[in-house]
Amino acid sequence: MFRSQTVVKQTNPRQAEERLAPKVRDMLVTDLRAEFYNLIKSQRVLVLVHFDLDGICASKILQVLFRTDHILYTVVPVQTCTQLLEAFQQHAEQVKVVLLVNCGGCVDLVEALQPPDDLVFFVADNHRPLHVCNIYSASQVRVLTQLGEEDEEVPAFEDVFRPDESEEENSSDDDGGGGGSDDEEGGRGKRRRFDEDVLEKRRQRRLWEQQRHKLLFDYTQFSFFGRSTALLMFELAWKLSKDSNDLLWLAIIGETEMVLHERSEPGKHLLTSASLQTHVSRLNPKPAEDAPRPPSDSLRITFEKDLTLALYRHWSLVESMRHSPHLATALRLWTLKGEKRLHELLAEMGLPLAQCRQLYCGMDVELRNGLQKMLEGKTDKYGLKNLFFMTFSATLGFRARMCASDYVHAAVSLLERPDSDESPTTCFLDAADALDLTKPEVLGRGIELRKQQLEAIYRQVQTFLDMNQVICAGPFLYATVVQGTPDARFFAAPHSLNLLATFTLRAHVSTSRSRKSRNLPLILTTPDVKYPEPDHCLVCGIPPVSEETHKNLLGKAFEQAAEKTNAKADLDYFDTNVVRLSVEDRSKFFDALISLLS
Amino acid sequence: MLGEKALELIKEMERSKDGKLPAYNDNCVRLVLEEMTALFQQNQDDVNATVAGEAQYYPGIRLRHASLERNKRCLLAYLYNRLERIRDLRWDFGNILPPEIRENLCDPEIEWFARYSKNLATYSRSLGEGSGLDLTHDIKPPKNIYVEVRCLKDYGEFEVEEGDVVVLQKNTTHYLPMSSCQHLIRLGVLQQVD
Repeated sequence: MFRSQTVVKQTNPRQAEERLAPKVRDMLVTDLRAEFYNLIKSQRVLVLVHFDLDGICASKILQVLFRTDHILYTVVPVQTCTQLLEAFQQHAEQVKVVLLVNCGGCVDLVEALQPPDDLVFFVADNHRPLHVCNIYSASQVRVLTQLGEEDEEVPAFEDVFRPDESEEENSSDDDGGGGGSDDEEGGRGKRRRFDEDVLEKRRQRRLWEQQRHKLLFDYTQFSFFGRSTALLMFELAWKLSKDSNDLLWLAIIGETEMVLHERSEPGKHLLTSASLQTHVSRLNPKPAEDAPRPPSDSLRITFEKDLTLALYRHWSLVESMRHSPHLATALRLWTLKGEKRLHELLAEMGLPLAQCRQLYCGMDVELRNGLQKMLEGKTDKYGLKNLFFMTFSATLGFRARMCASDYVHAAVSLLERPDSDESPTTCFLDAADALDLTKPEVLGRGIELRKQQLEAIYRQVQTFLDMNQVICAGPFLYATVVQGTPDARFFAAPHSLNLLATFTLRAHVSTSRSRKSRNLPLILTTPDVKYPEPDHCLVCGIPPVSEETHKNLLGKAFEQAAEKTNAKADLDYFDTNVVRLSVEDRSKFFDALISLLS
Repeated sequence: MLGEKALELIKEMERSKDGKLPAYNDNCVRLVLEEMTALFQQNQDDVNATVAGEAQYYPGIRLRHASLERNKRCLLAYLYNRLERIRDLRWDFGNILPPEIRENLCDPEIEWFARYSKNLATYSRSLGEGSGLDLTHDIKPPKNIYVEVRCLKDYGEFEVEEGDVVVLQKNTTHYLPMSSCQHLIRLGVLQQVD
């Protein structure tokens, strides 16, 4: 039913010597239209989506595409590897195609899920590094992505997979040491006569395995993120000529989420922004002078420079300034002097304090229009470096303008709601609804929730810094949210925990006197109030401030520490930098981490 | 007042226009029929007397006759209106009536419903060159063959027309043919996503 990829030489190990090792760029599916979409047109698809906004946006784009082509689908949200396995076992009985969005790329799928032979996986995952078995799988697992520089770092095929023992020759040019035999009993039996040969081959094999181990370790050591999957799906829609402004807006939200959660590198973000901007100008042309104006209930997207203040259009200016990591860190607003500096800044810009404390939309129009310019003028004096960024905003009909980061904030807060009576999958559907342009009330709810969450994060950061609870434990910084903190319910989920950690780290670096803290990663732990069993905590690790590429080695470190101490650690999340531990195991886990990282 | 009971029947129908079909008001119908018999009897006597030669009963006869006809019209309207509603029930609910509606129908009405169903079924089967077409399926022309639905409750496995089996777990989203889902949408297990 599926034609094999014509670009790739089949790596059937039973063939004789003329076997060409596959190159990485041939194994990845880059032409989504021909090698993915056209293959699934007559099939039913099972889509497993991870709990993150980029995944939700990507799945919504795909749903629109599938609907136009009458491809039947089922969408199931999964948050952890165990949920992935359960969902697969329940739903995959009759399907032949499974699409994994933002999950499963870093896990050996064939081994974990034990699928039947005719089932095909398409993986569109922005987590890196992708598992080598998934990349080099002949036809069962196909990775959908765009080629990027990180693919140059994938170990070559011959370094990772042993050639078959029917081959005597050494397979290649790699620096991995010999190819040679593998340890099938029959083969060795034949050669038992040649003892020296056997010993030599065994030695070479050992060397090769050591090299392989080292290569794989280096490859999987740092975990980071690739391009946004929503953007990938939008480009597929574009190639199919089925793109529209709505889909573009979803892709923009997916990309903005990766920026806000510090997952994409600044350099790469600029490139993707530029390509998004070309799409925006194509789909939102400036109307000519005397052309009829476009219908007022259509979506119009614009690309502009905007402030990095969180939710400032829906909040008062002072509140928004206080709760945004960049500004708060620059002015150190949790101290008394910081508050004075804030008032100074506002006074210098000529903004009356009473107005700044009201809702932003209640401020005078001239003040609002001049805000950006005034802030620009003050950046040097107050050290406000990252205050502006280029982003997209949308207007729909006569509603107020919403910028992409507002959508991201609202949807993510709905995804990880603090009240625990609703199941996580309902929260997933709520977040998906928030992105629906016909449901502005869901978005409004999300914004209110987000405000509460940002306030809780700010309070916690203030507690950390006032009481000096960010401790240097040698190779990393360490902070704990105390058991019983009422705000802990806001942090018991991966995204929120990451946000708290980033804010804390930035704040700590800006106040601490030692130069070393810029280079230390932060490990944050909080009681897991949502988990049914008591006395569990979530541990999250983020890379140091000086690390520009956002590559995180703490995921691997957690895995190794858990192995060493036999702690009952739940390494289940797809975002490997978050783990769940039981509280008793926590101290020995940290001791193991200290010894590992130093 | 003559004709009051009959008017009550009409008022009852009018009041329940938007709601459930009320129970067959056997009592009222019987009273109307009794009134009609009494009127007819009186009329009969008067007609006999007029034929015999006395002319002063003529207006009375006319009045009673008019009132008899009014009662008859009201009764017929009542019965016919009920039948119309029962016919609409067949299009809404299908062949089997839910028990709470069935108890409001009298026996002849139930028999009528059965015969109407049979007629409709025979006609539907004869359409489409013998392969049959269920007319009650889509009252309005469907906008889409397939519809996106969200599952609100755990339902378990569900077989779609083409033979695929879908597991309806809570909070999963599916894209399925409209005809298979309509029943579940009415039950409340699935919710259509606009």
